[in-house]
Amino acid sequence: MIDFGTDEWAKAFMEQINRSEAYAEAAKTWEGDFYFIIESEEHYPEPLHVYVDLWHGVCREAFAAADPSVKDPIFRMSGPLENWRRVIDKTLDPLQGLLTRQFKLQGDMVKIMRAVKAAQELVNCTALVPTKFPE
Amino acid sequence: MGERWISSERRLGKHTVDGYLGRLLVVDLTAGRVAEEELNSEYARRFIGGSGLAARYTYDMIDADTDPLGPENPLIFMTGPLVGTQAPSCSRYVICARSPHTGLWGESNVGGFMGPQLRFAGYDGIVIKGRADEPVYLFVHDGEAELRDASQLWGLDTYGTQQAIRDELGERSVRAACIGPGGENLVKYAAVISDQGRAAGRSGMGAVMGSKKLKAVVCRGKGSVPLADKGAFETTAGEILALLKDDVSTQVLNQTGTSGSANMLSLSGNMPNRYFMAGEFDEVDNISGSTMAETIQVGTSGCFGCVVQCGRQVQITEGPYQLEETDGPEYETVSALGSLLLIDDLKAVSYLNYLCNALGLDTVSMGVTLGLAHYLYDEGILSSRDTDGLVLRWGDAEPVMRLIEMTGRREGFGDLLAEGNLSLARRFGVEDLAAQVHGLEIAMHDPRASAGVTLSYLTSPRGACHNKSDAYWLDMGRSLDDLGIGFTDRFEEEGKAALMVRHQDWRSAGDTLVSCLLVYPPSEALVAMLAAATGWGFTISDLLQVGERILNLKRALNIRWDWNPEHEKLPSLFMQPLTEGGTAGYVPDVEKLLTDYYQARAWDRKTGKPTREKLLELGLDEVAADLY
Repeated sequence: MIDFGTDEWAKAFMEQINRSEAYAEAAKTWEGDFYFIIESEEHYPEPLHVYVDLWHGVCREAFAAADPSVKDPIFRMSGPLENWRRVIDKTLDPLQGLLTRQFKLQGDMVKIMRAVKAAQELVNCTALVPTKFPE
Repeated sequence: MGERWISSERRLGKHTVDGYLGRLLVVDLTAGRVAEEELNSEYARRFIGGSGLAARYTYDMIDADTDPLGPENPLIFMTGPLVGTQAPSCSRYVICARSPHTGLWGESNVGGFMGPQLRFAGYDGIVIKGRADEPVYLFVHDGEAELRDASQLWGLDTYGTQQAIRDELGERSVRAACIGPGGENLVKYAAVISDQGRAAGRSGMGAVMGSKKLKAVVCRGKGSVPLADKGAFETTAGEILALLKDDVSTQVLNQTGTSGSANMLSLSGNMPNRYFMAGEFDEVDNISGSTMAETIQVGTSGCFGCVVQCGRQVQITEGPYQLEETDGPEYETVSALGSLLLIDDLKAVSYLNYLCNALGLDTVSMGVTLGLAHYLYDEGILSSRDTDGLVLRWGDAEPVMRLIEMTGRREGFGDLLAEGNLSLARRFGVEDLAAQVHGLEIAMHDPRASAGVTLSYLTSPRGACHNKSDAYWLDMGRSLDDLGIGFTDRFEEEGKAALMVRHQDWRSAGDTLVSCLLVYPPSEALVAMLAAATGWGFTISDLLQVGERILNLKRALNIRWDWNPEHEKLPSLFMQPLTEGGTAGYVPDVEKLLTDYYQARAWDRKTGKPTREKLLELGLDEVAADLY
């Protein structure tokens, strides 16, 4: 099991994305990198930033950023651990989570709202990472 | 008829209840008389405003034989205590009457600036009775009202009507709620259009206006709304405003409009296509809000006091669907005139939307009726002999343009389409293929995509309405935790009815204000604004009970009219599962859902009536006396 939000987790996530034919097809026109941000709470004194660079159906780079200033991605999606966990458990669609105030997003809404299938496949990829959440 | 000026008989001075102007305008079109009436403060306290207050007034004025298109059917324009204030997204108005389309309770609310202008002109609402001999319009301005000759406007489309009224009055700030040829020709689902292209679309209020020869209601005022505690009101409104500005859903709606959700709704099987016969629409992105934003959109528009600005302004400068800058289609229209007919050309959909607005037709009912026509044509049940030579093909917008025009003018096959989806199905002996409940066409959320939506369609006072509980949002996780309305799986039926009852009660309460469904201010804050406006010490529970009271009253109205328990079902069209898409394999257990619902409501399943005990509990003694 890999601790959620760590650099090892980000790399495993990247590996699953690049193995996924379904993601490659769904995201073949997608261009855009993200910070997925786990907000600070009991288990995380500081917010965790997972950088993921997604480009035309592949993940070009992924890592846990100790210093968030190292990248300036075009999307920043943030939310509490509990909601990220629900996404990975497939009980919360990430775009639905955005529309229902369970996540915040900085970035181009026009672009993100048409990426539903790609988002769905990304979630499928996260589900394949053996993830350990803090208890 | 020459120009006719009739001043209202002003009797009242200061408002009698904070949050209200304290006056209704009462118009007798038969007598050509306009008068004022003091707002019934007891009704206001128990039903607050909007369609709830209108329903209470209606209850006093109708009987079982009230002809929806007869002079005796009262047509009510109503606002609520927050309309015209700084309360974010609470400045809509509603038009109510017995529906000529369903024979049941009809109501349709709409945003823009018309509602606030009515309040600024000095009135909380307008009750219109009778029928004029010749076309008229009502002009309400700064505590005065007059009926004016509209013979020169009769026949104009809604855009032309609004412009002609502005020109005639010489005032750009006036707001007109008007009908087009659809209303004049009594198309059963004719809309009332205001603020250029904003439609009070559902349940045929435009036909009621047409039957009264009332072309428009026009408002302009410089007044303000009296508030009990202005400071507290502004503080709460400011807090909500700040919250909404920071809300991602606000930003999404602002940037992509309501059809920004089209891709997501299609993927989940919520957005219907090919007349509810297919799952996902592969070309959905071509007609999505994102595509609109990147192609034909030239601006946004919004309602009074709204930060969302979800309205789209579009312009098409070349090709067969050229449009000067006008209102773009919202989600329901994108689906009803797009995916439902397999039309994936956003320019065509925008043009069809424009046509419906200009003619004054409800895009949902129009689209669903056209969808059935296409299906019947495809199946060989209809032929070009029935359609005045038009060949109907999925995805072909050209004949659809013509059919919409023919419907608005009741020409040829359009005369049958003007009666709606159920009439068309009956005409060809396929009633179970009609996509409707109680005669109102199903909105653009497939009932197989959600047990909650199914219940909403089955039990809404006006038929298959998607707004009396927007369960599709609830299903997405847009829960109302402070009301105990939590998220459940959309296909889960256990416990759904009790949840939906509470959700409907809350939405019914929201309708009294008259608030927008797209924004979700915290419930406590909404109650605080109402309290600051009126001085009433309402709690959330009180407001929920108001909502419940109103739904029981509307059910009683429907019982008095044509409501039939046998019609409280989904057509067999929806009792077949789709084999692909986001709803594949699911068919709601209607019997279970309804049984649970009636139990949760304390309504009698056999007769549909609220129990006497429930009516008394809600303070509807007069209704209990009538029903029992």
